[in-house]
Amino acid sequence: MQPPLESLTILIAEDSAADRMLLSSIVRRQGHEVLTAANGAEAVEAFRQQRPQLVLMDAMMPVMDGFEAAQQIKALAGETLVPIIFLTSLTESEALARCLEAGGDDFLAKPYNQVILAAKIKAMDRLRRLQATVLQQRDQIARHHHYLLNEQRVAKAVFDKVAHSGCLSAPNIRYLQSPYALFNGDLLLAAFTPAGDMHVLLGDFTGHGLPAAVGAMPLAEVFYGMTAKGYGLSEILREMNAKLKRILPVDMFCCATLLCLSFQRSSVEVWNGGMPDGYLHSVASGERTPLKAQHLPLGVLSPQTFDDRTDVLPMAVGDRVFLLSDGVIDTCDANEQLFGVERLQRVFAANRQPDALFAEIEQALRDFRGEARDDVSMVEVSLLEATQVSPPALVYSDSGQCCPLDWSVSFEFRAATLKRFNPLPYLLQLLLEVHGLRAQSGALYTVLAELYSNALEHGVLGLDSSLKRDASGFTRYYQQRSTRLDELQDGFIRVNLQVTPKGEGGCLTVRVEDSGKGFDVERVMQRPADGVRLSGRGVGLIRQLSRNASWSDDGRSARVEFFWEALA
Amino acid sequence: MADTHLDRDVLSALQEVMGDEYSTLLDTFLDDAEERLRILRKAEDAAQLMNAAHSFKGSSSNMGAIRLAELCHELEQCAKNKNLSGVEKLVGEIDGEFALVRPLYEAECRRSSPTKAIVPRF
Amino acid sequence: MSVFSEVSQDGQKLTISIKGRFDFAKHQEFRDSYENKELSAVVVDLKEATYLDSSALGMLLLLRDHAGGDDSDIRVVNSSSDVKKILAISNFDKLFDIS
Repeated sequence: MQPPLESLTILIAEDSAADRMLLSSIVRRQGHEVLTAANGAEAVEAFRQQRPQLVLMDAMMPVMDGFEAAQQIKALAGETLVPIIFLTSLTESEALARCLEAGGDDFLAKPYNQVILAAKIKAMDRLRRLQATVLQQRDQIARHHHYLLNEQRVAKAVFDKVAHSGCLSAPNIRYLQSPYALFNGDLLLAAFTPAGDMHVLLGDFTGHGLPAAVGAMPLAEVFYGMTAKGYGLSEILREMNAKLKRILPVDMFCCATLLCLSFQRSSVEVWNGGMPDGYLHSVASGERTPLKAQHLPLGVLSPQTFDDRTDVLPMAVGDRVFLLSDGVIDTCDANEQLFGVERLQRVFAANRQPDALFAEIEQALRDFRGEARDDVSMVEVSLLEATQVSPPALVYSDSGQCCPLDWSVSFEFRAATLKRFNPLPYLLQLLLEVHGLRAQSGALYTVLAELYSNALEHGVLGLDSSLKRDASGFTRYYQQRSTRLDELQDGFIRVNLQVTPKGEGGCLTVRVEDSGKGFDVERVMQRPADGVRLSGRGVGLIRQLSRNASWSDDGRSARVEFFWEALA
Repeated sequence: MADTHLDRDVLSALQEVMGDEYSTLLDTFLDDAEERLRILRKAEDAAQLMNAAHSFKGSSSNMGAIRLAELCHELEQCAKNKNLSGVEKLVGEIDGEFALVRPLYEAECRRSSPTKAIVPRF
Repeated sequence: MSVFSEVSQDGQKLTISIKGRFDFAKHQEFRDSYENKELSAVVVDLKEATYLDSSALGMLLLLRDHAGGDDSDIRVVNSSSDVKKILAISNFDKLFDIS
């Protein structure tokens, strides 16, 4: 059963008084409100003031005829449908066509038939209500869309806070990224370690929009948090993989390339999981070494099966690492041809000014595709002199009132631990509880890292640092390191930390002892300081950054001191 | 063709619809009709003639004056085709037809007025 | 229909064939082809697949998860050189037997 027709307000425009009277009665009897007009002008005015829902319009009227009045009323109605039924004894199709052109929706012939009129009113009303529903839904959709856009804006603002706590503005980084990169799943992060090394991550989440952006937040938190604490790439990778594996659905993952550039050690450490090849460009030889993906993306493997092994390559001052997202290779032209790796390498080969490389690649993409792409991410990181980069000061969250002033602690890390554990972040965190040491955290970490690495690599593992004098030796060195560490059965490193007050300030004494063969301390001390050499026990560095550095027990034991004055 | 002068079925339907206003409607029609006849007699050009005839045709048919409506239709067609030769004759016939039906309408008025019973409103 | 599936005579092996672009549009169809089945060995035949994107990689991961994760036995066969390249970059040959 159809619901009863609701009462409408109907305008009747008819110049014949008798006809007007008759029609009004008929319409009122059918349950509607009636407005009347005797000519077109009156009809338009009545419509303007009272906004009836339906109009019965005589075609021939004085002052203004029905056609003109109909056009004006339709214009006034705008988006809303106000059905107009022409009252006419016009029979010729030409005249009827004129009615339709003027905006008429139907006709009623004279003499008036009540049954037909009722049916037409009902049908027109259905149409009217249908139109109203369509407009309402359209407005609802527009509102909803607006709301979604706003949500995305908010999400982006929150994410920007997290993403940009890094050092992408450092002088040795150049990058290109769309402002909406996040919503394409692209992520670019960079941060300094306490020792002054730089970690860089270029990532690409599967999917688009908010789902991709949501995965990026926890990843960024891990990256920044652990980098600031002094963790190495492998540990950070393990944590990022575990986190993504845990929180993301099975079919979501993050391709990523991670770099650690060490200005002190003149090396770059690389891990690439599922990203296109990166390139290490050596200024001296002009060679470009591809950094291929050798791992699965993050978030795919369980923690037990995850492979955190990195590659280490030598990097001289001025060398650059270049990373790009797959948006570059995947750029298509009108024939669905891919830009591809070959074209990219041609741009590399043709490049004369390293600083112009980005612009040249963008231009090549534009030329190829016919227009610019806005979802490509590229980053270029170069190795500068250690003095040219200045890591920002660490921010501490405690109030600075209480700290331990007189204590000591000893650790002994044995073979099984040395294989799988890096104690440096913990040691550093411990030492940073001493407020007086905070201003020297960079030097502290660097010295500790150097002492520990010497003790492990040269002491316990017995590696010969002179291997690192060239690129192939470099690779062999790190391979040996990896192998010997895997096979390690015995050995230890002992670390002793002692903090004592001294006047208004204090003193930290660090002792590191290893179970290795030791070295000829005298000979190493006598070698001239050589900043360019990649090898050596970093003895010079240790002496430069700490006080009263000394070696004993045939080089198996090292001792350094740090001092601080009273805090202001 | 013998058209009906006044269709009684139409009249009863009108009375049913108009209720109390029935006689008012008839009066209004008669006044209207006289005005239109005046225009028809004095029409100066074909367009005026055509529009007046068209209008008269409409209301006559609504009021059940079938023959009158038919005559108006003929006049309308003549005027449209700019065939002014038979116009005078047709106007005369219309005049005559109206003179015929007019007393019938007036009788209807008188017939329905005395019965001023209160018709229930809804 | 661009995802075809067939179970072997002994009911042990499921073969899923993809025709055309292997992308997100095929998500539901791909899932339906293995969802209610007990799986021991699965073969994904990409002979007529023209293209593979990251959502296809995600779909393969879902299949692997359904088929037993680390204990699953899934082979991806008849990959074109383009498809093989994509699978190689993402190192999916460490998870699937790819030929």
